[in-house]
Amino acid sequence: MVVFPPTTPAELIALIIRIITSHTFITIVIFPGFIHLTLVVIFLTWYERKLLARIQLRIGPLYAGGPGGLLQPLADGVKLIFKEVMVPYKASKPLFMGIPLMLVVLSAVPFAVIPFGQHWVIANIDVGLVFVFAMTSLFPSMILIFAWASNSKYPFLGGVRSLFQQVVYEIPMWMSTLSVVLLAGSLNLVDIVNAQEKMWFIVPAFFSFAVFFIAIMAELERLPFDLPEAEPELVAGWYTESSGAIFMLIFMGLYMKLYLMSSLVTVLFLGGWWGPAFLPQPVWFIIKTLIVATFIIIPRGVYPRIRVDMLIKIGWTRLLIIALGNIFLTIILINSGLLASWGI
Amino acid sequence: MVSLVIPSDISFVVLTAVTIIGAIIALQAKELIYGAVALAISFIGVAGFFTLLDAPYLAMLQISIYVGAVVVLILFTIMLVRREQGEETNPRTDTPEGSMGIWLAGLLAIAISGVVALAGTSLPTETPASNLTVSDLGPALTLQYPVPLIVLALLLSASLLGALVLAKVER
Repeated sequence: MVVFPPTTPAELIALIIRIITSHTFITIVIFPGFIHLTLVVIFLTWYERKLLARIQLRIGPLYAGGPGGLLQPLADGVKLIFKEVMVPYKASKPLFMGIPLMLVVLSAVPFAVIPFGQHWVIANIDVGLVFVFAMTSLFPSMILIFAWASNSKYPFLGGVRSLFQQVVYEIPMWMSTLSVVLLAGSLNLVDIVNAQEKMWFIVPAFFSFAVFFIAIMAELERLPFDLPEAEPELVAGWYTESSGAIFMLIFMGLYMKLYLMSSLVTVLFLGGWWGPAFLPQPVWFIIKTLIVATFIIIPRGVYPRIRVDMLIKIGWTRLLIIALGNIFLTIILINSGLLASWGI
Repeated sequence: MVSLVIPSDISFVVLTAVTIIGAIIALQAKELIYGAVALAISFIGVAGFFTLLDAPYLAMLQISIYVGAVVVLILFTIMLVRREQGEETNPRTDTPEGSMGIWLAGLLAIAISGVVALAGTSLPTETPASNLTVSDLGPALTLQYPVPLIVLALLLSASLLGALVLAKVER
């Protein structure tokens, strides 16, 4: 029996147990909330290093314990926490310290609307897709402010490049999701996944999948689009001056954004949690998301970096046209009734 | 019986504080970059008001357009025309012209409180809950208000053409 407000210790304990075992608490704190996100981010840093090492015929992390040096990110984290945070001369200290925290928050908050299973979603809101859009559209301004706050030339150049690139690629990226919204008839991410029970949207909307995938590579500043952190020219781009815990926060934010974008691809095009019933729904979701993340990471070991003019040209003249044309193609497909057997 | 505080009242007070303090800092900050950041925070407060008013779609668009795009434009402009370090870039507001705004704001506050006091109990205390969803928005725009939509589209294209004309450099 749970009484509120509690008067005896037994009632207090009963209340605490009730809160901890409630669905809301579990979804926010354990899965798909904080603990799950932190573990996945830690795993992704190790996974990227190991994968790139195998591509380049190296071994990668090895000695830090666990199979294949799996504990290496923990060692890195401890090292970075205890390192001194260097604030550049005449830098804006509140912005320099605050923006990395905001990057982590901004990439963690959209997970509130990402459905990991039929019931594994924190907030099932009607404007889920627009919510993710709103949160990720804050990244360019955050990065520009951080680059300015560093009071140094390389970060500023990197920040301006990052802004340029993200603003260009945001437009085809969200325009390509429009055809998915048309197919599902909803902006709610749970409804979008439910509409893919019979057929994943990658089949009827293949062109938007291609555009979206290329655009998120640019949004995540992954090779071949990693101009904002071009090592030979800009040292490390917009986070050149970051060190210690600041550096760790920025990397947590970036890897969480990688996971966010991969899970968005899973939700929009790869059928979300749907899969054969021998595994639970969230497991299917995480497997698909990690496969997408693998395909985002692999080009870093394979392709060279493209030039700025090529980047802008691809964004404005190719991706935008394909994304626009694809909307009309989707409308024709829906109205022709060809997709009726898939419940669209 | 313990008097209960309605959660939406608390969030209304917090959002009001965030919006107004953000707007004041945006005007008063010595360095313009801090002003732009405070303006972004103020915009986020306005987006919170939209969520309180059962318009989540509008709130998301407020964040993505105002905080995501307009603030970026402002930041970019400030950085392009930045002056020497340490120089005050925001114009001072404690001048006779600046204090005019405070007087006007005071007059407006007196006027509004007078109107509210005169209206007394005839004001509605609760707003009716709206059942408007995102999918109602499209039909409303295209079937109910097609003419304003077309006028808005023309206005936007005109501003785009104007920007092109302004940016064109004679060679």
